[in-house]
Amino acid sequence: MSGESPRPTLEEARDRLRRLGYLQGGVARFVFGRAMADASGLVLAILFAGAIALALAETAAVASTQFRYEESPRAVVFLFLELTVVALLPAGLFAAGVAVAAARSRRPGRDGTALALLAAGGVLAVWLVGTWRLVGGSALRPDPSSFLWGIPVTAAALLAGVTTRTAFLARAFARSGLLPDRPRRAILLVAAAVALSIAAIVLATRREPVRTATPLPSPRKIPVVVVGIDGLALDTLHEAGENAISGLLSRGTIGWWPARLASPAEIWTDLATGVPAARHGVRALEWVRPWGLPALRPPFGTAWYFRGVGLAAGSVSRAPVSAWERKTPAFWEVAASAGIPSLAVGWWASGPWPGADVVENREVLARAASGLDVDAVAIAEFEKRFRGRSVAAVYLPGADILREDPARRRAALARLWLVLDRLIVRARNGEFVLAVIAADSHPSRVSRGRLFVFDGRSPGRSTRIEPFDVAPSVLARAGIPAARDLAGRPAGSLFASGSLETTTVASYGDRVAPPLPARRDTDREYLEKLKSLGYLN
Amino acid sequence: MAGSRGAAAPHEGAFERYAVTARPGLEAALAHNLPAAARGTGSLAEALEYAVLSPGKRIRPLVAMAAGDLFRARPAGPLAVAVAVEYVHAASLVLDDLPSMDDAERRRGRAALHRVYGVATAELASVTLLARAFETVARESAIPPAARTRILGELAGAVGAAGCCGGQAADLSADPGAVTLEDLEAIHARKTGALFVAAVRGGALAAGAGEGPLEALTVYSRNLGLAFQITDDLLDVEGDPGALGKDTHRDAHRANFATALGAETCRALVAELLETAVAALSSFRGRAAVLVDVARFVRERRS
Repeated sequence: MSGESPRPTLEEARDRLRRLGYLQGGVARFVFGRAMADASGLVLAILFAGAIALALAETAAVASTQFRYEESPRAVVFLFLELTVVALLPAGLFAAGVAVAAARSRRPGRDGTALALLAAGGVLAVWLVGTWRLVGGSALRPDPSSFLWGIPVTAAALLAGVTTRTAFLARAFARSGLLPDRPRRAILLVAAAVALSIAAIVLATRREPVRTATPLPSPRKIPVVVVGIDGLALDTLHEAGENAISGLLSRGTIGWWPARLASPAEIWTDLATGVPAARHGVRALEWVRPWGLPALRPPFGTAWYFRGVGLAAGSVSRAPVSAWERKTPAFWEVAASAGIPSLAVGWWASGPWPGADVVENREVLARAASGLDVDAVAIAEFEKRFRGRSVAAVYLPGADILREDPARRRAALARLWLVLDRLIVRARNGEFVLAVIAADSHPSRVSRGRLFVFDGRSPGRSTRIEPFDVAPSVLARAGIPAARDLAGRPAGSLFASGSLETTTVASYGDRVAPPLPARRDTDREYLEKLKSLGYLN
Repeated sequence: MAGSRGAAAPHEGAFERYAVTARPGLEAALAHNLPAAARGTGSLAEALEYAVLSPGKRIRPLVAMAAGDLFRARPAGPLAVAVAVEYVHAASLVLDDLPSMDDAERRRGRAALHRVYGVATAELASVTLLARAFETVARESAIPPAARTRILGELAGAVGAAGCCGGQAADLSADPGAVTLEDLEAIHARKTGALFVAAVRGGALAAGAGEGPLEALTVYSRNLGLAFQITDDLLDVEGDPGALGKDTHRDAHRANFATALGAETCRALVAELLETAVAALSSFRGRAAVLVDVARFVRERRS
């Protein structure tokens, strides 16, 4: 070798010695031996540690925010298992990235630590952001279990970080023979402590739970009737029927607000609860239901599975909007809890409530043969059940459903005109106070939502209000103190002077309803109905 | 690799400090364990003392003792292994210097043993030291019998065909013009490396080490042994005979790492081998300070 053949370069000599078993050492050799031979050890280690940590973070977000899961350890365990399988894909992609980075790294100590922090930070971010999003931002409720979940989540994040770093170093060493400058193990622990501190601050400084006090009503003699009409284009006046209805409604006192684009369930739940979706929780027309588990909103980063792959594979089904997901009470529920007989017909996200007579949206739609019949079914139910109720609400979606069918829409508007005319006459006769809400789920840029009040006064000026003012206004008119934690306030200018209850309570509390029985069949029918009526694709 | 050189800095000087503390006891044990029966056999007893008690660095026995210290066991067991290792090493040097081998004139700063006592006595002294090495371990009651058996196996391996003898035979028969890096490794892993491995593993076994730590120590000692040999070859080419205490350029006519790879490559490989050795000790943390510093000592040694 010394004479005839050229001297090997350092790289060649290093490779040849490595093949003889030298230049291979360190903890990686003993802990992740397979990673020394090929990338599979690294990928498998990160894959499983990462998937478990991600799944735990997502499970924690669901379990601490969605009360059907808070109550069921079994559901939490099964959700965790399913999410672990789901998380294999992102964890695998991350592992592949780490493998590539390890093969190219020239500063394995620094790079490995950075990737470890990325892994651990990602897991903690999924937990924090997921919890934040599922509960709804500023409306986070302080629940000790949220923070307690931080302990296993942080442990799992640390495991993912340490695994990432160790596997990275093992792989980097196997490829380049480079070892880290310093162990830098403490960085991960410091990062974990910082993350836990941030979590503690974020979760511990959330809004204190407001003690729920049953409002003491001062019942009024005259009932309050609320009619919600979806799909009226009063600002664009496309149809003769809308002109006629506009003329009819203009006899009332008007409060208006700029319309916004959202799902009808969200818009009408805003109106019914007096709080935004961030607090009441109703956003979309459908949720998802993992196989054998309660419905849930997909945790952060899992929509691709719950709304895509899982649905296609049949491991996830759709769950229609229901009262189950609503976290704050609607005005008819507040009234019922205060001992005032109440009725709600056809409203989005409505459901059984003690003391209230509720006809769910799904029941109304199920009885209607077509969009043209929906309002008639709702009105019929309303008329049948109204007697003896002091707060009553009915939701009429016909105009919205028939938006794309001008001929039938005209017929629906004509029927609606008759209904409204009759109700307004009864209101003028002092039979009840009538509040008509016209809010379009498909508004144009110039559209407004409106509240028309018919309480026997002459028409007043048009007043700017907020959609969240509707629920407290209705309740105050029914003699129920408004809750100070609502986003809206009673719109006094729309009602006769002195007719609104002026006292207030701190809060109506949260809506905690008894569990609903499994309704898979009706869920499926409801979804099909929503689809046939054009609500869902 | 260069980035990790700072790792040994906190331990710098630990080996020298350890040697100052441990060496008196080691030297006493080396002298005390020489076979009493050799007295009255003429020059053999003197030759044994000449071979063993000459001024050496005692790296191998000190490393054996330091490996035992990792496990906080009674020092008697690792000390017996250290004595045995040094006897084997001394015996191998005596043989190595014989006219039939390297025909060296000087060893450890003075005349080679065979030049003082003759070849016959030198051969007898070498065999006697080997036998005494095994006897020292076999009789050490501080080492559990099962561990004693394993240590004896380690020592036998380091001496036999897989050790010094096999390495020396391969070295003598190698064609300097055709030897490859793999051939050099095969020679020196046996001539030098095997005894380093036996010293470290033996010291650890005497202290009750488990298989995991043994594996780590094997990685350490293999890489350390090869680094030691490459450094030795560099010193043979570049070193000062006065400082080395032995002949230099003895291996110029034979293939060695310095001539095969070049000095720069050798120095880079030594650094990487020592870093690998140190990395293998990471699970021992601060307890391995002495062994970690041995790596620094090997890299910086000039004799």
